[in-house]
Amino acid sequence: METLIAVPKRRSTLATLFRKKNAIVGAGLILAVLIFIAIGPFLTPYSPTAIAGNFNEPPTVAHPFGTDYEGHDLLSQIVYGAYPSLIVALEAALGAAIIGFFVGVAGGYFDRTGGALAGLTDITLTFPVLPMIILVSSLFVPTDQLISFLLIAFLWAPVARAVRAQVLSVKKRPFVDAAKTNGMGDTSIMLKVVAPEVAPLAVAYFIINVSVGVVLVTALQFLGVGNPNAVSWGSILYWAQQFGFDYGDWWWVLEPGIIISIVATGFALIGFGFEEVMNPRLRKK
Amino acid sequence: MNFIRKRIIEYLIVLAVVVNLDFILPRIAPGNAAEILITGYANPGLQQQLLAQKFGLNQSIYVQYVDYLRNIFLTWPPNFGISFQYYPATVDSLIAQRFWWTILLIVVSLIVSVLIAYGMAGISSLRRGGKGELASTYSSILLQATPVYWTGLVLIWVFAVTLHWFPVFGKVDVNATSTLSYISSVIWHGVLPVVALAGSLLGENYLILRGTTQEVLRSDYVNAASLRGLRQRVIARSYILRNSLLPLVSLLTFSLAGLISRAVLVEAVFGYAGLGDLLVDGIFYHDYPVLQGTLFVLTVIILVGGFIGDLVLVRLDPRLRKS
Repeated sequence: METLIAVPKRRSTLATLFRKKNAIVGAGLILAVLIFIAIGPFLTPYSPTAIAGNFNEPPTVAHPFGTDYEGHDLLSQIVYGAYPSLIVALEAALGAAIIGFFVGVAGGYFDRTGGALAGLTDITLTFPVLPMIILVSSLFVPTDQLISFLLIAFLWAPVARAVRAQVLSVKKRPFVDAAKTNGMGDTSIMLKVVAPEVAPLAVAYFIINVSVGVVLVTALQFLGVGNPNAVSWGSILYWAQQFGFDYGDWWWVLEPGIIISIVATGFALIGFGFEEVMNPRLRKK
Repeated sequence: MNFIRKRIIEYLIVLAVVVNLDFILPRIAPGNAAEILITGYANPGLQQQLLAQKFGLNQSIYVQYVDYLRNIFLTWPPNFGISFQYYPATVDSLIAQRFWWTILLIVVSLIVSVLIAYGMAGISSLRRGGKGELASTYSSILLQATPVYWTGLVLIWVFAVTLHWFPVFGKVDVNATSTLSYISSVIWHGVLPVVALAGSLLGENYLILRGTTQEVLRSDYVNAASLRGLRQRVIARSYILRNSLLPLVSLLTFSLAGLISRAVLVEAVFGYAGLGDLLVDGIFYHDYPVLQGTLFVLTVIILVGGFIGDLVLVRLDPRLRKS
């Protein structure tokens, strides 16, 4: 779990986290999916784009997840389709967490720029993300890089908002005054004293954003933004919506949605558990 | 700065960004706007004509920009040009046909989800730590994380394709002639989309309400009320639910943008011919004027809705008036 390792020197936090039932359930779900994706290629000999069996075959021993209307093996489609969906979401969440962290820290620490940065954050939160990405993708080739760049452009805002709120309260604590009395400059207090205090919150939001990102990325793939012929969780559903109903292939519609939901729920559970540990005042929001 | 004034400035910036992006993007996209749009599916010659008409591409960029702004802000209805896909229908006429359907879907779903979330939060605040609360919380997280378009697909599968209880597609039966049959047809078509959209909002609303009700429960005035011997039910209704209204309105105001994104997906899945469905059709046909006009109107919906939410917030929370 690289997401958890990303919290260095915070053993007490991590220990508390693992006492949270939510986080354990979430981590279990994600671990199960990652193992499934990792060993997937050994479970199925078929290429995701090869005609591997009969058309519209319900789950059998040869094709545990069944086949679609062109005889593609759905198990291998779901295993290989994980990468475009998960990697874009991870990239986007990581970029958003880094930007949101710095904007939030600066916005919380400096009074003068703080108002402007908070305004910028509120403004970003107001844009209709999906329609805007659709518009941009209609003009530019919607590569995975472009999609994750666009997601970063919107997903940093919730991170910044939460981090800023936390910084505002950290700033009032005695050790910040102590650092000031010791003659530390504003920039170094901000980066060396305040930032480490709120970093775990940015990690929590990184994890929550992975969940949000997976749902958004698959939604775009489902709508046919990008190349629907590239196998991804969303594009499997794109084809399932077009043909699955006509052929009665219930498994084709169910499977990708279930795995997307498991991944998104898993990350959300870890993120919420994390956030709760980090920020007991959260419930006040 | 005054809260409302600050919000108005923010909303105007959002609008300005969307309007300018609509103008700039096709002009900085690789190739020129004309080439990109002609890769669409309709007749290239026709599209070229339409493009010249729409963008006035031979004029200077300044003249284009002024024309563009005049078309949007000084013309009624705002002129976004002509749809490629539905030629010769204008974009504003397409939007006008669909606008209220989207509003209907969003408003009904919001009301349904808030009412159910309130009920759930009220019940779980009376029985804290019970199995009901645990189940509600877990199912809310699950609902929040489940892609709404997939919930839609499953609902169609079960209740429309298999059980035939509801229609698979559309927003109203074309054969419905009398007022009564028209209304019942709208309801009949609307049930599944509303269930999908309301369901996806429910999780978020419940989680926020549960958090705030629990905070209120720990407060001194609730303690005092129960010491005075007020009944649990009375406390739940007049103290807890009322005080959790503020965070709920605040959440709804902020989640409008997400709501619009979800409504787009729900409309696309159910073929519910509102603005979202128009937008998604526009992807397939590279119908830029439609995409542009729809994005503008969806943004305006978010801003107007947000502004109404802000006004309610100011009424509910006197602190906002002072700061």
